[in-house]
Amino acid sequence: MRNKLPLLAKTVDSGITGKAVCRLLLWIPFAFFLAPATSSAHLLNMTEIHLDATWPDSVNLDIDIDLGQSLMTAEDYWIAASSDSNKQAEALRPIASKIKSGLQVKVNGSVVGFELDSWQLTASSLQAIKNPFSPQMAELFFKLKSPIPADASVELLINDQLEVPWPALLRVDHAASPLPASRLLTERERSSRPIFFGEKAAATEGEALSTKAVLAVQALAPGLEWIALGFQHIIPRGLDHIVFVLGLFFLSIGLRQLILQVSCFTLAHSLTLGLATFGIVSVPASIVEPLIAASIVCIALDNLHSEKIARWRLVMVTLFGLLHGLGFASVLSDLDLPPQDFLSSLLLFNLGVEAGQLTVLAIAFLAVGWMQRWAQYAKRVARPATITIAGIGAYWFIKRVSVI
Amino acid sequence: MKKNSAGFTNIKTIVSIALVAFCVAVFDVAFSALKEPPLTFPLDGRASGTFPSVWIHGSKSAMDNTDPAVQVHAYNDHTFILRENKAINYEGVFMYLFFGNGVAMLIDQGSTSSPALFPLREVVDKIIQEWEEQHQQSDIELIVANSHLHGDHYAAWNQFVDRPNTIMVGLTHEEMMAFWGIKSYPQEIVTYDLGGRELVVTGTPGHQGSELAIYDGWTDLLYTGDMFYRGRLYLDDWDAWVASIRKLRSIADQNPVAHLVNNHIEMTAEPGIDYPIGTTWQPNEPPMQMTLEMLDQAVGATYEVNSPGIYIYDDFLIYNQIPWYTTTDP
Repeated sequence: MRNKLPLLAKTVDSGITGKAVCRLLLWIPFAFFLAPATSSAHLLNMTEIHLDATWPDSVNLDIDIDLGQSLMTAEDYWIAASSDSNKQAEALRPIASKIKSGLQVKVNGSVVGFELDSWQLTASSLQAIKNPFSPQMAELFFKLKSPIPADASVELLINDQLEVPWPALLRVDHAASPLPASRLLTERERSSRPIFFGEKAAATEGEALSTKAVLAVQALAPGLEWIALGFQHIIPRGLDHIVFVLGLFFLSIGLRQLILQVSCFTLAHSLTLGLATFGIVSVPASIVEPLIAASIVCIALDNLHSEKIARWRLVMVTLFGLLHGLGFASVLSDLDLPPQDFLSSLLLFNLGVEAGQLTVLAIAFLAVGWMQRWAQYAKRVARPATITIAGIGAYWFIKRVSVI
Repeated sequence: MKKNSAGFTNIKTIVSIALVAFCVAVFDVAFSALKEPPLTFPLDGRASGTFPSVWIHGSKSAMDNTDPAVQVHAYNDHTFILRENKAINYEGVFMYLFFGNGVAMLIDQGSTSSPALFPLREVVDKIIQEWEEQHQQSDIELIVANSHLHGDHYAAWNQFVDRPNTIMVGLTHEEMMAFWGIKSYPQEIVTYDLGGRELVVTGTPGHQGSELAIYDGWTDLLYTGDMFYRGRLYLDDWDAWVASIRKLRSIADQNPVAHLVNNHIEMTAEPGIDYPIGTTWQPNEPPMQMTLEMLDQAVGATYEVNSPGIYIYDDFLIYNQIPWYTTTDP
């Protein structure tokens, strides 16, 4: 430590010590060039607004503001701060009125009035009030005339008639929210915009129309999100399942037979998915994943060597379904199914998977299915596609085995 | 003859399948090669960086200043230090932009709200765009966070409110700590994963009751915000600051530290002498970064200072529990 400047009561106000005097003399030549930018002072005495609706029936609005540098003259503020409470009340009446007409609190879109309840005026000296670098803050405590309901939107707006030291930091506490909400109001952005609490917060989380639509549908049918997740695990995420289903498609069998196979496949993978999710069966991904790839090769090779569907084909598809279900299990464990709705969520997830698979088939029908009566279909479409499926499966198999 | 034909077909089929598998493999390998590998931020070793020899430090006439509103300095490829022009606001605060995979974090937003005077959002967007181009990344997320809750560090926060793909960390103590996952402030030390870049974060109150220090293990930078810098250390809570400074020393004991970085320069190059409060021109500024020896001086101060007052050290002044505007300056 080089030195200590002792703190005497008077130095706080005067701000000058012996050493400081010497330094003052040193700095005088520069002083003219070192004048702070005009906006600087506003940062030191920025306004803080706290809307506290922790108890919805008794809502407080607290404003921490440098009155002597904004809504009052420094002299008036000094007199008020030095006076008794009756005179302070008289001095603050027009100030409270200015604030009430310039600051709007909107609850669910309607303006809610407020009244000054108490205050705390602090000032160490008139000189300190005048000094923009020594903010002497006043605390004004207002009470809202109406409660703020549990599900509410709250907006705070400072109109052009009210100039406060900017920026103004707004904090809103609400019983429905574990965390406060904060907004920064500036000379340019004078509104907090609506802040939502309770159910309104959930309904407005994310302003995208699609999000709102999903939330609306969810409200009508809460299980729909599990169907959507199941669907997404086929399209676009389940590439190996898509390839497998296409393998079934390209055997060129009838629609009824195809749906039967796909349904057996779905039932089988639902079974292992359920068993794996309950922890009854557990097979490491290092084994399941190469086998899934092998199943794709198998189904494709069977296509290439079968003119018509063999009886054991349905058994084979079912067995492969059991295998694919084990592959899904690892995905589902990441989804965190709700314990209270475990079975229904699992069922809905599987419904989504089934819908995804049927969609793949529908797209395949639209793309090439309508050509099935063409004499060259098997040679020009089904066979090349099946060879491609077998090639993809073979590559996945080699890749997944080599990763082990 | 028929058997031979079937055998030939089988061989053709097998060759075709192998060919498809080979093509898929080539495509897969080529696609993987085209993808930029993720950035890595290893903790062993040190990602070095540089500081400018002199920061832009205002001018005699603030009105006639022609320097950029925000000085941008790339400490290294993934770490940027920004400084607000002192001619716009005398605080001349330093702000930090850290990049990780798919994400950037802006610590502090300066002392001026007006985008016309202080276009911080525009500057940050440009840095991010150039960084994305350079590192083949796109649509990375921006996290707008703060070192502590003083107005000279978040005045331009609003400029980012409408920015897409942006997480705004709130301006209350509770929101800040919820974001970082700090349940027990200030004692708790947490690790934050910024896209593979590990940041160690902990509470360091004393100057302000929500202040955080951040240790970046990749660069070995220890960011100390406003609680320790070359300037007037305004301390509301002496005991809290003592604990914070000693905790910083403990972090530095357990981790390699390249530099201590922070938010302001208020000291002149002359030991123990600060610029007057409010100055918009600081010729002959000392560096912003500080050393462990300076931290040791601060630790020493925690044993020497025992009452409110102004205490002068070579590289910083301690304003212990006195109105902060009480200065040794004119």
